[in-house]
Amino acid sequence: MLEVKNLIKTFGQVKAVDNLTFSVKPGKIFGMLGPNGAGKTTTIRTILNIIKPNAGEVLLNQKPVTQDLFNSIGYLPEERGLYKKSKVADVITYLAHLKGMNSSQIKTETDKWLKKLEIPHYKDRKVEELSKGNQQKIQFITAVIHNPELLIFDEPFSGFDPINQQLIKDVILDLLDNGKIIILSTHQMDTAEKLCNEILLINEGKEVLSGSLSDIKQKFGGNHIKFAYEGEIKFLNEMDEVLSFEIYSNEAEVHLKNDVKPEIFLRKIIDKVTIKQFSIIEPTLNKIFIDSIKNKN
Amino acid sequence: MKKAVTVAKWEFLEKVKSKAFIISLFVTPAIIIAFSVLPTILATKESDSTKAIGILDLTKEYFSDLKNEIEVYKLNNNLPAYAILNNYKPDLSTDSLIKSADAMVIDNKLDGYLLIQKENNDSLKVEFRSKSIGNFQDVARFEEAFNNLRIKRKLLSENIDPKIIEVIKQRTNVNQIKIEKPGEEGKGGFEMVFFSSIIFILLLMMMIIYSGQMLVRSMLEEKSNRLIEILISSCTPQDLLFGKVLGLSTLGLTQVVVWLLIGFSLIGAAIVPITSFDNIHLILLYFILGFIFYTTLFVGIGSVASTEQEAQQITSYLSLLLVLPSVFIISTLQNPDSSLVKILSYIPFTLPSVMILRVNVSPIPLWEILVTMLIMLLSILIVMKISSKIFRFGILYYGKMPSLNEIKVWLKE
Repeated sequence: MLEVKNLIKTFGQVKAVDNLTFSVKPGKIFGMLGPNGAGKTTTIRTILNIIKPNAGEVLLNQKPVTQDLFNSIGYLPEERGLYKKSKVADVITYLAHLKGMNSSQIKTETDKWLKKLEIPHYKDRKVEELSKGNQQKIQFITAVIHNPELLIFDEPFSGFDPINQQLIKDVILDLLDNGKIIILSTHQMDTAEKLCNEILLINEGKEVLSGSLSDIKQKFGGNHIKFAYEGEIKFLNEMDEVLSFEIYSNEAEVHLKNDVKPEIFLRKIIDKVTIKQFSIIEPTLNKIFIDSIKNKN
Repeated sequence: MKKAVTVAKWEFLEKVKSKAFIISLFVTPAIIIAFSVLPTILATKESDSTKAIGILDLTKEYFSDLKNEIEVYKLNNNLPAYAILNNYKPDLSTDSLIKSADAMVIDNKLDGYLLIQKENNDSLKVEFRSKSIGNFQDVARFEEAFNNLRIKRKLLSENIDPKIIEVIKQRTNVNQIKIEKPGEEGKGGFEMVFFSSIIFILLLMMMIIYSGQMLVRSMLEEKSNRLIEILISSCTPQDLLFGKVLGLSTLGLTQVVVWLLIGFSLIGAAIVPITSFDNIHLILLYFILGFIFYTTLFVGIGSVASTEQEAQQITSYLSLLLVLPSVFIISTLQNPDSSLVKILSYIPFTLPSVMILRVNVSPIPLWEILVTMLIMLLSILIVMKISSKIFRFGILYYGKMPSLNEIKVWLKE
């Protein structure tokens, strides 16, 4: 289990991480969400001991995270990059050596992972000769090859096509079954919604929401409906029944006041716009995200 | 520590395999030889053909005697070194005489000519006019010949015994002999010492600048593609810094060994004098210490750069610091015991180059060698400590260059 207690990190006057406390249990994916500049990357760097916190502690299985635990941690940073002029196998070997693996382990594991990610034929190619997606796969391998206890993925799916996204998703779920502690930091709410069991939403270094996804949805609660439509729906702005709404291409998600019955609302709008579909829903993570951040501001 | 070795191995292998390194391995000594050995060879090498030299004597007093003096000089094969031609013709004006003599030089009929004329105040003015200036040996000979002639005439006119004139004409040269131990003469004059010291200092500087740039650039790559985050979540910044310095020093050593081999093969070919390698053990030690010192400095300070331009700036400032002592090379050679040189050989920035020079110029007491080595080792430790502190923050620092105040804060943490 990873425990983060009262973590504080300041840069000059700015509090990048402001008293964060959370824990991550093995076997569940922990989603760390937040808008740009919320302090996600700083939190991750502090967990990894890349930067020292001003206060607080980080424990992995009751032991503070220091250089002794480096070999039990795998990290995929958001911004990707590898030694471009070097050979794929050489880069993997170097980074795996740094994680304390020996040469024979590295050989078998490299072959295994290249095969698993469907790129065994690139082993002896230079990194710069690979497509961006394939370079990302190599980087993914360097994060997981040493079979670490704790895995931190920062936007693991960005830059992948849907097929490869699925491939990476399956690999991550595999790792989960092996009892790894996994932190997933992302902006993609639909991915987070599908993969994460636990959520931590942060903004300006502070916790905004935390808990299991179902708890959060229940707590956020309220009266949510979604409808697909054709036409113009600007009138939602003027309706007293509406607390807030989000518009996706030809769908709208609306948060109604608690005493408004959905069928009454439907009756009111049906003359103004063509409704193609109408449903009562739990709020999506996306809506929760936007509302929580907006309310805070 | 084990991880530092892993880093060192990677840095070494990746760079040794690069084309740039392999090229520099052979191009650098070629450049140094081209710039230091060849001019020496060419400057001291006697020409092997007779030169046609004109004399335009507007005073009409010196031609025949000067001709005799100059014709004394012989080539190796006993042919005269100079064939003398009289450029003076009675009917022409001074201007047209000079013009026609100039024209002969331009048309390659003459290699050059001596112009002798009286100035307004009755003093003599002698010029050697040729297409290229810089033939020191020829000019020195003409000067000697002309002065001999004048002294001889003056003395004769004063009715001095011709025997005394002969004595005065004889010159005594002062030979420079370097003493290393009582009764043991070192070989090689000023040029030799100059040449063998300068070659090592040039090598040291070129290598440090070259590897420093390589290092800062590779660090910049790791920074801009955030590989650095993976690296320092795998090993400590100290391991990474130490590994980089170790890897690069090994690389530098490989280079020196290859260059030494080239150097030894040049001795075989009698291009480089064997005396250049007399103090090689000391020179190598100072060389390696200086290299590690500057490399560590480059890693620490270079880590704050986040763009190619900044990296360029930093490396050129540091290189300047490195090249600065070369200003003192001549003065060190001329006066190795001056207090300036003494001071410079205790400052870690100038110590390696100055000591490499001094080791060659004059024997240095053992205690001074030990003290300077100790200073160098201590400075390396201090620079390591400072650099690793700057490094720890620098590698995660993006955007504009940090101010000195910010760096001060880093050093305190």
